Amino acid sequence: MGEKKLVIALAGNANVGKSVLFNYLTGLHQHIGNWPGKTVEKAEGTLHFKGYTIDIVDLPGIYSLTTYSIEESISRRYIAVEKPDVVINVVDASILERNLFFTLQLMELETPMVIALNQIDVAKKKGIEINIDKLSEILGIPVTPTIAVKGVGIFRLLEKAIEIAEKKVKPKKVEYGEDFENAIKRFVESLSNIDLPYPPRYVAIKLLEGDREIEQEVVQKNPNIIPLINSIRGELEGKYGHSCPTLMTSERYRVAGCIVKDVQKIIPPSKPTLAEKVHEITTHKVFGYLLMSAVLSSMFLFVFVLGNFLAELLNSILYGLKPFLTSILGAGFLGELLWGGIIEGLIAGATVALPYVIPLYLAIYILEDSGYMSRVAFLMDNAMHKMGLHGKAFIPLILGYGCNVPACLACRIMETQRERLIAAFVATLIPCAARTVIILGLVGRFLGVQWAFALYVFNLILVFLLGRFAFKVLPGEPTGLIMEIPDYRLPHLKTVLKQTWFRLIEFLQIAFPLIIAATFTVKLVEELGFLEVVNKLLSPVTVMWLGLPKGIGISLIFGVLRKELALIMLASLLGTGDFSQLLTPVQMVIFTIVTMFYIPCVATIATLVKEFGWRKAFIITISEILFAIAIGGVLLRILRIVATLF
Amino acid sequence: MSLKESENTGVPLTALKEGESGIVVSVKSGYGKAWGLKKRLMDMGITPGTKIKVVKSAPFRGPLEVIVRGYRLAIGRGMAEKIFVKVECDG
Repeated sequence: MGEKKLVIALAGNANVGKSVLFNYLTGLHQHIGNWPGKTVEKAEGTLHFKGYTIDIVDLPGIYSLTTYSIEESISRRYIAVEKPDVVINVVDASILERNLFFTLQLMELETPMVIALNQIDVAKKKGIEINIDKLSEILGIPVTPTIAVKGVGIFRLLEKAIEIAEKKVKPKKVEYGEDFENAIKRFVESLSNIDLPYPPRYVAIKLLEGDREIEQEVVQKNPNIIPLINSIRGELEGKYGHSCPTLMTSERYRVAGCIVKDVQKIIPPSKPTLAEKVHEITTHKVFGYLLMSAVLSSMFLFVFVLGNFLAELLNSILYGLKPFLTSILGAGFLGELLWGGIIEGLIAGATVALPYVIPLYLAIYILEDSGYMSRVAFLMDNAMHKMGLHGKAFIPLILGYGCNVPACLACRIMETQRERLIAAFVATLIPCAARTVIILGLVGRFLGVQWAFALYVFNLILVFLLGRFAFKVLPGEPTGLIMEIPDYRLPHLKTVLKQTWFRLIEFLQIAFPLIIAATFTVKLVEELGFLEVVNKLLSPVTVMWLGLPKGIGISLIFGVLRKELALIMLASLLGTGDFSQLLTPVQMVIFTIVTMFYIPCVATIATLVKEFGWRKAFIITISEILFAIAIGGVLLRILRIVATLF
Repeated sequence: MSLKESENTGVPLTALKEGESGIVVSVKSGYGKAWGLKKRLMDMGITPGTKIKVVKSAPFRGPLEVIVRGYRLAIGRGMAEKIFVKVECDG
């Protein structure tokens, strides 16, 4: 018997437990990629249920289906064009009205759908009671109460979804007020000969909402419709005294509100819940910031302690294999090349990136899943605004201190392409774990911790100034923060682990091929005896302008592979780890500052290319090289003058 | 609230003190460049006639935390200045 196939899409607001449901349904049978041509994540998975092979597509968490963001555009296009067999609309039972506002838009798309009324337990705790049968009857859609984190109700939800998919039941038509229905009717009539992937009624509603993408498509196919659009909008605006988008949006909320009034009863609990008390403290004007510093510093302590432990463990295991592997590879040219070029590249990636990336992701996802990250974004919004970004951009910046690759990937939480680019640019300037090795291993060890700390502060000031510069230079307008603050909840361990796992895979796919390719190239250059040539070529910059020893050209080249290699190479080239014998304190400071800024490492460059294209990645890289050289040279001259004064 | 408050236009949301609520009169909007952001505010439930409560105002001209339609929302100050409300007398 051949298995029957179905495609189910998950749609809903952010923070409703959609990804928990997705993980529950698909387990490890999932694939995370990008929507074609877009840097928006597409999570897909498969599930076998009652003789069906079901493809599950997790659409991005969104609040509306207009073209405010790429995510919203993608979602509606997917539903209208790809036509999944059924959409599971995940609804947060504790915020019914706002969730229904989205449900109504899905219904406007006339797609077969079912509702998962999720977090029904949270709603109950908040004293919210919902008449499920009545809700289902009003909407003409099956509604199943679920608690995704516990797996409650999901079996039934799937049964309903399959039933609707098989019968191809469309939801009821959403009835709006008389004036709106008249306007919609007039639009629909004039749209009859225009071919769009969306239902005519949906297009009509979007024209009322002032959706520019739809409007453009319609006008392109029939320019004669412009006077009609203006006259219908004008009539409504004249009658109600608000702009037409405002009116249509309000009307949809009015309908959602009426439904809620019919099906929901609230008896608020008399005393604040624990979650609310925690919210109070963590957003407090004083304690909020103190707690944030404490939480973030303990996070990094955790990342570095666990990271160091794992790094050493992996290092000793992998290098323990060296005698064995070299005996197989042989000691000749090829053997050297394979060992130094490929296997060392692998080991490098495995011992430097992985040990820090894993705990970093774990910590971030625990904080994210609990709801804490949105509080951090709230607290940091003001500071981020100075760089033309808003509070959410603080999250990639924190990640940057662990590793720049996840930091650049995390910039997707920003709404516009411009903000993503600024945030990613700023994130590449943040000293990651590998650069921390240089700062602490060179300046911290030989000049004292206070100097290392001073360098961090110096870095932060420059990051801020450069971010501000990018904000001024790049065209476009800054957007403000509009962010839901979800209730606190216990992090869902399984979801956190899965997110960490899939992120890790993504990291490996982006970073490893380049680390290995680049290691191989450098090794090849070395084996062919060209390293001296490289040193000579770079010496006008390294020796004359930056005042560093001659051998440093090569170590800076190695640093592009992995930043801390710059230091390790320096040690092996100089033949000693005691840098104080060979470098003056000024040289140490200059070297550290240059490595801090001079170029994103190959893995980060690869990420930039993936997210923003070759051109932008190239511009960022070149401008950081030039900037590092400039600041290093200027600083050297300042330090020399200062040194003569004492 | 003793601010100059015109009967029709209301005051910006930022004029409310912590704990005060108001009824949304308008979100300054049009079809122009800022359409998306204002539409977004309305999509989040801030439509004319809606009750909105300012819970917290972050220091140094930081964002506002409001409760609207039964959930918490953070709004950057620049955005909040575009939301005009009529103050409710007893929060």
